[in-house]
Amino acid sequence: MLKKDLLELCLLQLLSQGDKYGYEVLTPLRAAFPDTQESAIYALLRGLGKSGLTSWYMAPGGGGPDRKYYRITSAGQARLEEMRDQWRNMRDAIASFGVE
Amino acid sequence: MMKQQRPLTKEQYLKKFSRAVRWRLPPQESEEAIADYRELVFQPERDESKLVEELGEPVQAAHLLTDVKAYRRWLKIFAVLAFGLFLLAKWAWMGHSSFYFSFADQWWYPVWVMAVGLALSLYWFRRYGQKNGPLSKRLVLALVVVLAFGAGTMAWNWYVFDSSFLDSYVERYPLIIPWQVILQRELIINGGMICALIALAGLILAKCYDRRWLALYTLAVTVAAVCGFIIFFCRSIDIGYAVRSSAQSYLFARLIPIGAAGLIGTGVALC
Repeated sequence: MLKKDLLELCLLQLLSQGDKYGYEVLTPLRAAFPDTQESAIYALLRGLGKSGLTSWYMAPGGGGPDRKYYRITSAGQARLEEMRDQWRNMRDAIASFGVE
Repeated sequence: MMKQQRPLTKEQYLKKFSRAVRWRLPPQESEEAIADYRELVFQPERDESKLVEELGEPVQAAHLLTDVKAYRRWLKIFAVLAFGLFLLAKWAWMGHSSFYFSFADQWWYPVWVMAVGLALSLYWFRRYGQKNGPLSKRLVLALVVVLAFGAGTMAWNWYVFDSSFLDSYVERYPLIIPWQVILQRELIINGGMICALIALAGLILAKCYDRRWLALYTLAVTVAAVCGFIIFFCRSIDIGYAVRSSAQSYLFARLIPIGAAGLIGTGVALC
């Protein structure tokens, strides 16, 4: 799993917890991966949408203009499960070498 | 010593990003990305002084969204079309070509450039370009202006190449260039160059906003090619009696089909 895949996993995991608008998605990921800029995370989020793993809708946002909310699709859920398995396998493989 | 860069304001950031992303992405995708970035940049929580640090350089941010293969393909097409426009502008200004093909008269060179430009641009934009919203009123206005200029130039050349007009001046005042001819020369030289520039603008707008702006490119490139054709023709002929009597019919038997081809191309670009 590359860093890109880890970011993708985190994006899908975040969206599986509920629909979120752009800033809500990018900020925690940037906090978790401080050497990654939001533009790179946004590009990934956009890529997920193009692959049909997420969709979006416009909804009123906190008194301001409408916001774009992202939601995970059923294809996204399936992909999340797949990536979780990959992540667990990788974590076990690394742990077998004594890496904590 | 390194120059300290001033941080971008939110407006400046979005402007730079919009410009970069419009050049790289198809119009609908770029509009979508700009709307998303507008939301991200103008979040009340966003600290303006940390914009670049958090979001990255605007051009870099646009690059991350770019389909590199498609973008390179566009750059190649743009380079060929822009070079063609450069040739048309240069020929309008210089009145001669620095290269020569023995199998064709020089006045056909602008028409070749136009033919390649029309074929290539129509193919690329019909395949990869995108319409974006209703037809722009600015586009309609620009088309009317270029069309009026083209028609006016053709009409003025019809008048100047009329054998009775040429005969009367050449015979009565052989050493004086009549004002009608001076005006004709200014029209085709300046018109040729300006139309090449307008065509370049049309090309860029077609990529960035709506593929129907290509109609401006096709029309302006046609007028520039017509001007080039006339300039080369005028430079090549010797105004003898035989030429004076047949110049108008020779010229317009060629200019009318060229203009018609350009108009058809313009119609196709608008559809």
